[in-house]
Amino acid sequence: MFDVAHCADVASLSLLFLARSARIFLTMLDPLLDKRLIFVTGKGGVGKSTVTAALGKALAARGKRTLVLETDTFSAMEDLYGYEGTGLEPVKLSETLYASNLMAEDCFVATLTRFVPGERVARAVINNRVARVFFKAAPSVNEVTILDQIRVFYEAEDQGKPRYDHIVVDLPASGHAVTFLNVPATMNGMMRGIGPIAKMTAQVSTIINDPKQTAIAAVCLPEEMPVNETIELASNLKSVLGRPLTLAIANMVHRAPLHDDDRPIFDALLARVRANAPGTSSLLFDEEPTDESDALARLVEGNALALGWHDRDQRYLGELRSRVDAPVIELPIFYETSGDDVVANVARQLGGDSSSLDHPLAI
Amino acid sequence: MTASPRSDANAAPLRHLLDSGRLIVCVGPGGVGKTTTSAAVGLRAAMAGRKTIVMTIDPARRLANSLGLDDLTNDPQQIDLSDALNLTGNEDHGGELWAMMLDSEKTFNDLVDRLAPDKGALKRAKENNIFRLLSSALHGMQEYMALEKLHDLYTGGYFDLVILDTPPTKNALEFLETPGRASTFFDERIIKWFLPNRKSGLLGRVFNPGSIVLGLISKVLGESFVNDLVEFFDTFHYLQETLQQRGELIEFILRDPLTHFFIITSADPRRIKEAVYFHEKLGQLEQQADFFIINRVIPRFHPEDIAAIEDTDLDALLREADHEASADRISGLRQRLETHYLQLARLAIRDREAIASLATKVGHEALRLIPLLGEDVHNLTHLLKLSDFITPLAPDARVATAKG
Repeated sequence: MFDVAHCADVASLSLLFLARSARIFLTMLDPLLDKRLIFVTGKGGVGKSTVTAALGKALAARGKRTLVLETDTFSAMEDLYGYEGTGLEPVKLSETLYASNLMAEDCFVATLTRFVPGERVARAVINNRVARVFFKAAPSVNEVTILDQIRVFYEAEDQGKPRYDHIVVDLPASGHAVTFLNVPATMNGMMRGIGPIAKMTAQVSTIINDPKQTAIAAVCLPEEMPVNETIELASNLKSVLGRPLTLAIANMVHRAPLHDDDRPIFDALLARVRANAPGTSSLLFDEEPTDESDALARLVEGNALALGWHDRDQRYLGELRSRVDAPVIELPIFYETSGDDVVANVARQLGGDSSSLDHPLAI
Repeated sequence: MTASPRSDANAAPLRHLLDSGRLIVCVGPGGVGKTTTSAAVGLRAAMAGRKTIVMTIDPARRLANSLGLDDLTNDPQQIDLSDALNLTGNEDHGGELWAMMLDSEKTFNDLVDRLAPDKGALKRAKENNIFRLLSSALHGMQEYMALEKLHDLYTGGYFDLVILDTPPTKNALEFLETPGRASTFFDERIIKWFLPNRKSGLLGRVFNPGSIVLGLISKVLGESFVNDLVEFFDTFHYLQETLQQRGELIEFILRDPLTHFFIITSADPRRIKEAVYFHEKLGQLEQQADFFIINRVIPRFHPEDIAAIEDTDLDALLREADHEASADRISGLRQRLETHYLQLARLAIRDREAIASLATKVGHEALRLIPLLGEDVHNLTHLLKLSDFITPLAPDARVATAKG
């Protein structure tokens, strides 16, 4: 009989991972190690926040002071890192890991305070109902003030050294990412380059558009639409911002249930099972309790389905690799329920060696 | 709870909504196949005889793919239903399926063209720096323009049912809150601060009661920007009233008893959490979700199946497939298959636990399950299969493909 405990020993495997990551490998993180600012985007629902959290954790684990930022959102990091946010000031999560969710309202106050003479005047504007409503409703004010706050963290120094080695930003979904990153340039154009805010927007867009210090990473799933969107994103970055995509991260890739060599054996098995028990594949979609005598047929059909998912994933990844001029890395699906476990696992995948992809917990 | 169309007490109420509703708003987290599911809902309504349009404001082009179109545009395109009717052996009940994707820029330009009082105003508008950038680049326009388009489709009189696919998460909430926001932006009191005072020109404006604020804004944003802004508000004065009326009308439409909300999610615990968030948010907006459609549920694999399988039986079957294979290779393959199946079974259980937790909050009767199928949805046949899980056509006319 199959030993259930055999594959469920998460704790010992975690130790194995720790042992592995202590050694020096060529890691998936390599394209990001020399980037101080890392923007992470991706189509909604691809695990963008989880991967961002894992990136932050993996960079921090290398001893780099890392700040993970969210941009005025229903915070995923609080859940993933298990912390509670307190305004703009980053919360220290470990010796090297910090996080903050940049709420637009706070950023607006902070930006305004930097640009009008004296806090008293800033308060006067902020407390003016008309000005408040105007800024709240005016498009792109949120984006500019959030990006300005990111610039402040980026330029922050302690004793002549940058306060943060890496700043990882969980950006809005890729459909909005280019618009978001282009807001400073747009705003600058609107102001015709005149005035202190225009100067600030010019600085911000210079930082964003420099591929040497700033990375833009796209998380996607090995599926048709996310892959298409990543291809589109890479081309929009080129045409709108004039800079390349740094890295594509394919998340939740289905692992093959068997070795390629064994496919003919499996195919023959499948054919035989289907001949003996024709209705099984549709039974899988039935919620009602099923007959024990179908167990073997279900096992085979289940694996056939999984093999199909794997093959489909690889087709889309092939498409992605051929059409995006950036390295593509793969992260497997993990089945742990808690967000914390998934982040830890993905962080180890990112920071560890690629052989850990064969990890039995990954599907 | 059932993923299968077989035993189906909840299908009838959902079908009733498709038969009688005028607007179905689909909200939910990203990456759960929301757009495709919206299209499947639309397909089912159209096959039941309703003139249906599916509007997506998600920038992704998924809908076009799943409907077999190359591209969706700002103008509604009709989908050929004859294949779907043939495949299902259904009669043509005179329904139609249309689809479109919102193009904010084009909608905005159309709106300005339509509402501009004269050609001069139109020309001034199009030369205004802020207008030019606003119409093409800026955040937030998408939501305003979606409402504009929704208004057209809803009041146009042609369509019986509008299905509105919303952007994921935060944006969707903005979308629901936009009616208020749009009218705030064009709030008359605010505009007065910026509008030219007839008696005194530019100076009058700067030294009018809003001068301190205006002066500060000039200082921060730059003089030329403020001038453009003043001109923008001046030129767009005529838009204000219309947009405000639209906003009020849309709020009215959203509160109509024939407007329904579907929350579309997957069974991933994090997505379920987001679905609950939407549910609560709708509650705050004095709305409620009529149905929760849970997409991509892992099929019902049973971990106890592994115990029920005799390893020797499976080994023997594998050996029949390849007589040459070594015993090690056979048992290695068997173990891999068992390991993988067990992992799938755990995922299946995790999904069902998450669904059960949702059911305790919203009730079993509000749930519909769609399993994760073996192939992608990129044609009408696949879409039919999906829509069959949402609500079967009729007891005697099941979709033939769903049996495969």
